[in-house]
Amino acid sequence: MDMGIGLWCLQSTATNPRSFGQAYQELVEDARMAEDNGIHSLWLSEHHAYYDGYCPALMPAAAAALAATESIQIGTGVLLLPLHEPHRVANAANLLNEQSSGRFHLGVGMGYRPIEFEIKQRDMSQRLKLMNAGLDALHSTTQTPTWVGISSEKAAERAGRRGLGLFISGAFSKDVVNTLIRAHRTAWEKSDPNQDTPPPVGLLRNLWIVDSPAERRQALNWVRSSYLVYAGLGWGADNTGVDFVSQIETSMDEVEKSATVGSAEEIAAELDGYDVDLVVCRIGYDQPPRTALTEVIERIGRELAPLVKDSGVKL
Amino acid sequence: MRLLLDLRNVSELAEREQLAREADEHGIWGVVVTGPRGGECVEASAIATATHHVSIVVDVDGNDVHPTTLAEEISVLDQITKRRTMIIFRGPSRSRTSLAALLGGLPVEGVILSPPPAQASIPVYSPEDIPETNLPEDLTQLAAIVDKYRDSQAPFLIVSWARSIKQLARHAVGRAASTDFPQMVADMADQIDPIDQ
Repeated sequence: MDMGIGLWCLQSTATNPRSFGQAYQELVEDARMAEDNGIHSLWLSEHHAYYDGYCPALMPAAAAALAATESIQIGTGVLLLPLHEPHRVANAANLLNEQSSGRFHLGVGMGYRPIEFEIKQRDMSQRLKLMNAGLDALHSTTQTPTWVGISSEKAAERAGRRGLGLFISGAFSKDVVNTLIRAHRTAWEKSDPNQDTPPPVGLLRNLWIVDSPAERRQALNWVRSSYLVYAGLGWGADNTGVDFVSQIETSMDEVEKSATVGSAEEIAAELDGYDVDLVVCRIGYDQPPRTALTEVIERIGRELAPLVKDSGVKL
Repeated sequence: MRLLLDLRNVSELAEREQLAREADEHGIWGVVVTGPRGGECVEASAIATATHHVSIVVDVDGNDVHPTTLAEEISVLDQITKRRTMIIFRGPSRSRTSLAALLGGLPVEGVILSPPPAQASIPVYSPEDIPETNLPEDLTQLAAIVDKYRDSQAPFLIVSWARSIKQLARHAVGRAASTDFPQMVADMADQIDPIDQ
């Protein structure tokens, strides 16, 4: 399996305020650093109208990272397709791939925050319909490798039937992940039995390489803190079924349990149980100091990637 | 008057990037770029990454896109360009009004851009606001054309130019900026420091 890094959200959060200029400058620097260390890919993430400037326009950001590099892949993990005009997304994706010699990956998802649909005057209750129409439009207008962010078997099946890659979110157990992958693969096989190569599967994972119990505790605290960003995004959403305020500690405990933190060897052994082509190491938290981020990027590329390269399937 | 080098009809990205770098190096005020509908800011971002100083003037199609989506793309672009973004907008006037307000940091129907543009306000022009011309190789004719637009009080002039960017900068940038441009200095510079075409 290949090792990518994510999610670059380009925020200035309440927990770690910074200038947006710095955030976008560091995106370019981080893409170069990841490339220099043999990382397969760097993935960006999108939200709209959030106080911290969470990146609402991934294509220009991807263009900057691609223009500054030569071999690393850059992906969207994920672009919220129902909030965009699909023909514009396809045009931008095609241009990115043309300019980067095929290094751009388009990950798409549905979105879940009512405010994001409101500001684009879209009916959130129609988001599945909008998503499917968008995927239909993309299918006929772009050859860009396309991945679908999913969290249910039905969504995995839909992606499989379309022959699209899967981008699985971070907090699921190994059993759930492999169930989703099986649903995806089965749907793909039924849709066109004559195809040889199944669409790829990517797994987002909270992950950090450490050498001591103290470093482990520190990394887990960063993972817990990162949940605050997600909780903040969900706080304004009334359809998630989660009471983010009252459940914050419980949710943080669950996220901590799902994190993969250890030595490179321990992490490689843990990842070996996943039948995926790509693991996107979720390290783009807002709390770690820059030196820690730099170090973990180097170690993912130089220590972890060689250990897992024969696991899963090579993209 | 400030000169904007037109890169919209240069077919290869590598050539556009090279011309933009030369414009950057020799003090051309801006380059004009575009892309397929939805890809305009992608193109602009690539050019911005290749340059440091030159303004990036993006010719955008505002038809069939929510103005907030377009404003978000441009705002992110302005962070990437570090305040070097300017817009030529083609599309419905209502969308242009919304776009200009959003890019000026104002709320529109309760929406305010996040992140905001890096500039206090990103300039938004219509195509008819900025004249365009092909500059001739003959430097006397070039001077006459630049004088004409400068004296008409145009704030910008989009120019197509097929020769050396340094020569364009030497003969046209100062002339566009000032009515007392000393042509003699540019002519003598051509003898002291000839420019390979």
